[in-house]
Amino acid sequence: MSAQSPAPDQLARFNVSPARRRKDKIARNTILAGTLLALIPLALIVYYLLLKGLGSWSLSFFTTDPTGNTFFKSSSIGGIKSAILGTVEIVALASAIAVPIGVGVAVWLVEYGKSSWFAQMVRFFVDVLTGVPSIVFGLFIYIVLVVGTGSSFAGYKGSLALSLLMLPVVIRSAEVILMLIPGALRESALALGAPRWRVIFSVVLPTALPGMVTGVLLAIARAAGETAPLLFTAAATNKTNFNLGQFMNSLPVQIYSDVTSPTTAVVNRAWGAALTLVVMILLLNLIARLIARRSRLA
Amino acid sequence: MSPASSANDAGGPISLGGPNDGAPRAAGAQHGRVHFQQQLQELETNALGGLDLIVEQLDRVLEALNHQDVELAQMVIADDDRVDGRYLEVHQGILSLLALQAPVAGDLRLVAALLHTIKHIERMGDQCVNIAKLIPLSGHEPPVRREVLDALRKMGALARSEVIQSKAAFAGRDIGLAEDLVRQDREINRLNREIFRMALDIGDDADTREWAMHMILVARALERIGDNAVDIGEQVAFVVTGLFREFSDSSHPAGVRADAAPDASPETFPDR
Amino acid sequence: MTSDGTSLRTADMEPDELLESGQARSPMPPPTRPQTSAPAAAAVAPAKPGLSVRLEKLRAFYGSSEQVKGIDLDFHANEVTAIIGPSGCGKSTMVRCINRMHEEIPGARAEGRVLLDELDVYDSSVDVVAVRRAIGMVFQKPNPFPTMSIFDNVASGLRLSSRRSGDLRPKVETALRGAGLWDEVSERLDEPGAGLSGGQQQRLCIARSLAVNPEVILMDEPCSALDPIATLKIEELIAELKQSVTIVIVTHNMQQAARVADRTAFMLSGELVEVGPTQEIFTNPTDPRTEEYVTGKFG
Repeated sequence: MSAQSPAPDQLARFNVSPARRRKDKIARNTILAGTLLALIPLALIVYYLLLKGLGSWSLSFFTTDPTGNTFFKSSSIGGIKSAILGTVEIVALASAIAVPIGVGVAVWLVEYGKSSWFAQMVRFFVDVLTGVPSIVFGLFIYIVLVVGTGSSFAGYKGSLALSLLMLPVVIRSAEVILMLIPGALRESALALGAPRWRVIFSVVLPTALPGMVTGVLLAIARAAGETAPLLFTAAATNKTNFNLGQFMNSLPVQIYSDVTSPTTAVVNRAWGAALTLVVMILLLNLIARLIARRSRLA
Repeated sequence: MSPASSANDAGGPISLGGPNDGAPRAAGAQHGRVHFQQQLQELETNALGGLDLIVEQLDRVLEALNHQDVELAQMVIADDDRVDGRYLEVHQGILSLLALQAPVAGDLRLVAALLHTIKHIERMGDQCVNIAKLIPLSGHEPPVRREVLDALRKMGALARSEVIQSKAAFAGRDIGLAEDLVRQDREINRLNREIFRMALDIGDDADTREWAMHMILVARALERIGDNAVDIGEQVAFVVTGLFREFSDSSHPAGVRADAAPDASPETFPDR
Repeated sequence: MTSDGTSLRTADMEPDELLESGQARSPMPPPTRPQTSAPAAAAVAPAKPGLSVRLEKLRAFYGSSEQVKGIDLDFHANEVTAIIGPSGCGKSTMVRCINRMHEEIPGARAEGRVLLDELDVYDSSVDVVAVRRAIGMVFQKPNPFPTMSIFDNVASGLRLSSRRSGDLRPKVETALRGAGLWDEVSERLDEPGAGLSGGQQQRLCIARSLAVNPEVILMDEPCSALDPIATLKIEELIAELKQSVTIVIVTHNMQQAARVADRTAFMLSGELVEVGPTQEIFTNPTDPRTEEYVTGKFG
């Protein structure tokens, strides 16, 4: 029988060289280390939130308003009900403003504006707005709607400030998602004899929905945590308030004012509020993903 | 196969010989499907080489006829296997090309024409064998008549010339040459009729009459070779123009007067 | 869709959709092609006449670059016409001009006339959307709408055309039968369209186009992305479909053109070189460039 198996040195060239192995190991470990390093702050934050905030959680924590008493240990300091509700109301209104407008702008940019000079200009300014500090938006609304009109702080003014904040984020992420939609999809819808607006509404947007939900969530999460804009616009109050035309409490503002208090219980309340905020965003995330999955028909 | 009669007789690679021959080709012509083109060329060379075999056979059988050479006649009969072998080869090559390469347009017409042509070649070979078989029947000292043998010699020369011309016509895609075959074929037909007439008047001697009968059959075989050559010419026209037409009605019923004009069928093209 | 042949779909059209609603159409004789034995997925489309299309001096531009350079070409009603030619010769561009998809590309424009029967679809009074309902299109890569079920995909054409469509089920079934897909999916109409195999997806796209009842269907290399069995099924489908629609198919695959088309047109560098019965083109083409392309000497 002739030599069926090739000589060992012929197969040797298929072996991985030790030098390669070493490099591979080093690279892997470096990346792993980097990942762990990046995860440390996240883990620490979660740990501290739970450690410090969980203790404040109780039924009354969620069902009573802050009483405003921060100096006397013996009196009840109250919970954060108004703050939670306030955040929900303000952010909801802000989203209701920012999301339709933002998606609309993104749709225009992708479907109509395309690469015209005007569209390029719009994109440029949207990019600029993404970097504007949140306090500037608050100031803007303050100047225009509070000082300018001579009226007082109000919840809706806070929403406006937040919506300005959310807008560029929504526009950018929606635009990215819409551009990812293959042109073939639009083509086939057009070729069926559908007017363009119909194509956008019935085909493009539903396909883009899961991706856009993520972008919107990002925007909401950012808005829900901003303190500065609200300071000048919605101000704060202790009472639960369903009238967006008046002062309104919110979690960030509540945390801000509680954290500096000398009373330990109040500081703990701030931690509890922070934990609440994080959990709320988390829940929102989960709900939105569930909705997106159902609409996707995996 | 004699090298001189390769497919390059026309000079250069085989041209398509399409109706607009000489018109500017698209850039990159002749570059695609080189392997297929080579196969096609080989097939054609192979097929046309069969005509060289026929010329050989014809030469030998005419020689045998002239000198009553029975052994030569045997060789001719045996060598028909070569012609048949060539037929099978080319036939197989054609099937293979059709199945594997899916030729279309001019290539397809060429392949179809080669199929017909190789069949005609095989028939020609059979006719040579028919002649060869007739030779021993005449015995060792046949009562020959000079004028009959002369006529046969002329027919043989014409048939040989037609075979060679048919090959040149096909190789060169030359319709003019192909159509000219009819002219020679008419002469063969005339000689055929003449031999028939001579045989009728050959006299009362039984042996001579028997020999004359055989000579009629020989003449008939030569005439059939001529017809096959004309048929090959018709294939040339088909390859070039895509139209199939009979050049002329080259077979004549027995008993037509020798001085009668050749049949003027509607398909006949005008005399050159 | 009325098959009385007297008017161009105006019965289902809202008044402002297609101008010249009073324009009479030359009555089309019913096709007299003998019924061959139906393939396993038999089409049940009623034999209604498709329409003829004629291109007159059609030119297409991308910006200032002219890709289609003045084409005069007839597509006979209820026939399959194949367009063949090397890559970049402009065949897809030309076909996209027929249903006015070409102008959807930024900077692209077309000149000349495209006559659907007697109507110039480029006339300024004509509604582009209505044109695309009369002239459907199937693309190279099967692209069912990913968020929709099979049923919704087929019905999408009807829904998107904003018609008061009533009960869609019979129309969806007819379309799926017409595309030879009904037997395979009738049990699972609610499953996502993207879950089908490539060949099935393409037939789904064909059903989607059929559902709006076009008179012409344009196919841009519909089988390029499919395996041979799926390709064969679609070719058989085309043979069935031409009884009710006129079909124009762009194809790279000359054997496919030979199998499927009644007439074949050969394009080169934006120009029409030759057009004729498929048999002629593939046995005895007139133009030497056609001969060379078809025998594989270039392209």
